[in-house]
Amino acid sequence: MDRKQMFRRKTSISYKTEEKTVMRGYNLSDLAEEGYSFYDAMFVLFQNRIPTQEEEKMLKYEMGVFLEHSMSPSAVGAIGVSAGRPNLPVCVAAAVSTFGGVHGPGAAHGYMLNKYLERAQKEGKTVDEMAKILVDDYMDAGRPVMGMGQPQHIDSDPRAEPIHLKQEELELKGVYLEFQRAVEKYFHARRKADGRSYVGVNVVGSGNTALMEIGFSPNAGWCIGSVVRGFSCAAHALYNMKKGRAWGASRNEPMVQMIDLSMIKYVGPEDRIVPKQEERQEYAKKQKEEGEYKQWVI
Amino acid sequence: MGYLDKKRTDALNKAKRERTIGNLGSPKNPFDYYDREYGTMPKDSKRAQFQWVSEVAYKNVHRIVTRGYDTTELMEEGYGVIEVLFVDYQARIPTIEEEQMLNYVMILTLEDGLSAPAAISRIVARSKTFLTQACGASIMAFGHAYGAYSAFGNRLDKYLAMAKEEDLSLEAAAALLVEENLYDEALGVSDLMLKDPAANRMIARAEKLGTAGKYIAFMKEVVKAAQKANDQPVDLDMLGATGAVMMDLGFTPEATWAILAVTRSFAAGAHYIEEVEREETNRLGQELTPKEDYDGPADRPVPPIADREKIATPAISTTPDQWKRRFEKMKDVQGSGFSIIEEVKDPSKKSGIKKVGKL
Repeated sequence: MDRKQMFRRKTSISYKTEEKTVMRGYNLSDLAEEGYSFYDAMFVLFQNRIPTQEEEKMLKYEMGVFLEHSMSPSAVGAIGVSAGRPNLPVCVAAAVSTFGGVHGPGAAHGYMLNKYLERAQKEGKTVDEMAKILVDDYMDAGRPVMGMGQPQHIDSDPRAEPIHLKQEELELKGVYLEFQRAVEKYFHARRKADGRSYVGVNVVGSGNTALMEIGFSPNAGWCIGSVVRGFSCAAHALYNMKKGRAWGASRNEPMVQMIDLSMIKYVGPEDRIVPKQEERQEYAKKQKEEGEYKQWVI
Repeated sequence: MGYLDKKRTDALNKAKRERTIGNLGSPKNPFDYYDREYGTMPKDSKRAQFQWVSEVAYKNVHRIVTRGYDTTELMEEGYGVIEVLFVDYQARIPTIEEEQMLNYVMILTLEDGLSAPAAISRIVARSKTFLTQACGASIMAFGHAYGAYSAFGNRLDKYLAMAKEEDLSLEAAAALLVEENLYDEALGVSDLMLKDPAANRMIARAEKLGTAGKYIAFMKEVVKAAQKANDQPVDLDMLGATGAVMMDLGFTPEATWAILAVTRSFAAGAHYIEEVEREETNRLGQELTPKEDYDGPADRPVPPIADREKIATPAISTTPDQWKRRFEKMKDVQGSGFSIIEEVKDPSKKSGIKKVGKL
């Protein structure tokens, strides 16, 4: 069989020969035979090191608790894509791709922590002092403080505080946990002072803090969080593919379906007559002059 | 919003009927186009309103539950990703040996060098995207040749069912499978692992842990049959080993496909990161395609548009003979699609593509 290279790159991650596949110097087969866990392999992959047992346990907890989240944008993405019955990987790819600037923004939270920790280091401020500066910066600017609040778990994400507690139990208390806890303290105090309701830490705020504490970069942490969700989204897509109705619009189902015609609410321009080609130029010019269309431009 | 009121509907339809719109008023249409409603359908009050129906998981404000187990409670009790995969896909807690076996498989499938998922992740990275886009793209690279777990597993199920129905021995069913699929990419036996013991070590591990079952037993017969049918040396490959082990762990072919594609995507994320760290981005129009790699028509002048009718060759065929001649001729146009045959099926029924090949 032709085994020529499809894509050439200098890489420090892995190599593969006819004899073995090696990641960061370790033969993968030997790593598995020795009894290391998949979580250990994540440390090798992203950090080029074998973790301590406590670090391994922390990652196991974080990945496990993040894996399934029932109906969130990622599962809905997978289910929506599955309605057309493409190959299953397409649904999973869509699910993972839903993680962006709002849904599970692990990298953004990590970069935020790093930016302010660097400021603390440069300006000679304590972590606590810098946490207050961060909260004030964000809230003065009317920007949401990343890692706080979740639209469904409105009075505290059920996974979030337990992640903090697990980190403490495993004695993995470093600068990130101290900083995140301080951010939460000043965030709660300021909202209370402003007469606003309680908003708890979310799973990005606590989970990503743990990931950073055990040595993952913001992007590596984001990868771990968003890709692990792909496992459950595949299950949701598969359930719909095997036990649901394709297309999601059948009128024979006892329940109105996901994209039943009655689910559409249209709020755009009202029905109008398509101009004939001979009318087009004058019509189009008038439309541009009047500018009514501008309210609809997206 | 609901339907437009009758007065405005009638006015719009009357205006359109008088103006006429292309062929829409043709009596060949099975409807009167100028007698149709406007606006969206009213809410359906006769049926239950839409809800996300799931056997897999639910959540409320205070908990996330998969197959009856609260996910935070699962973690607090010491379970992890591996166990939740069994819970999500099989609604059960695995034995310790099953957990160890899936852990083993996932380590082996995490990284595969610069194969398609890593390569596509790096290509996407060069466009300056989010990491998640690149990870998603890497999962897309799993098809019915690379990481063909769906095609592979459904085939094992088909021939095992046949063996049961027709009272065939495993050996006979394996011989039949090989006879009918010897050159298929999803056979699970090839020359890829002749020098790498990883696939056979995985089977040995499954046997040691006691998780080996009917799929591994059958796969061993498939290997023997393929070795008999081949002139060149072949052996169990990674697809065959991981596919059979996963199915003995109780995962369906589709679940296996998804789990291992996602597992590979973690490493694709590392490749994204390294690409961003070590390489440059690509801009639109930057990449050149050398002429020496081009074997299409020689450079030629674009004919004046006024000459179009003189030089244009219509595609219309009026007889099956004409149609066949054109079809065969078009096979010479690489990239036209006439040389490929696919049966695109609903993948929820089986693997999604019955056969992909060249005509």
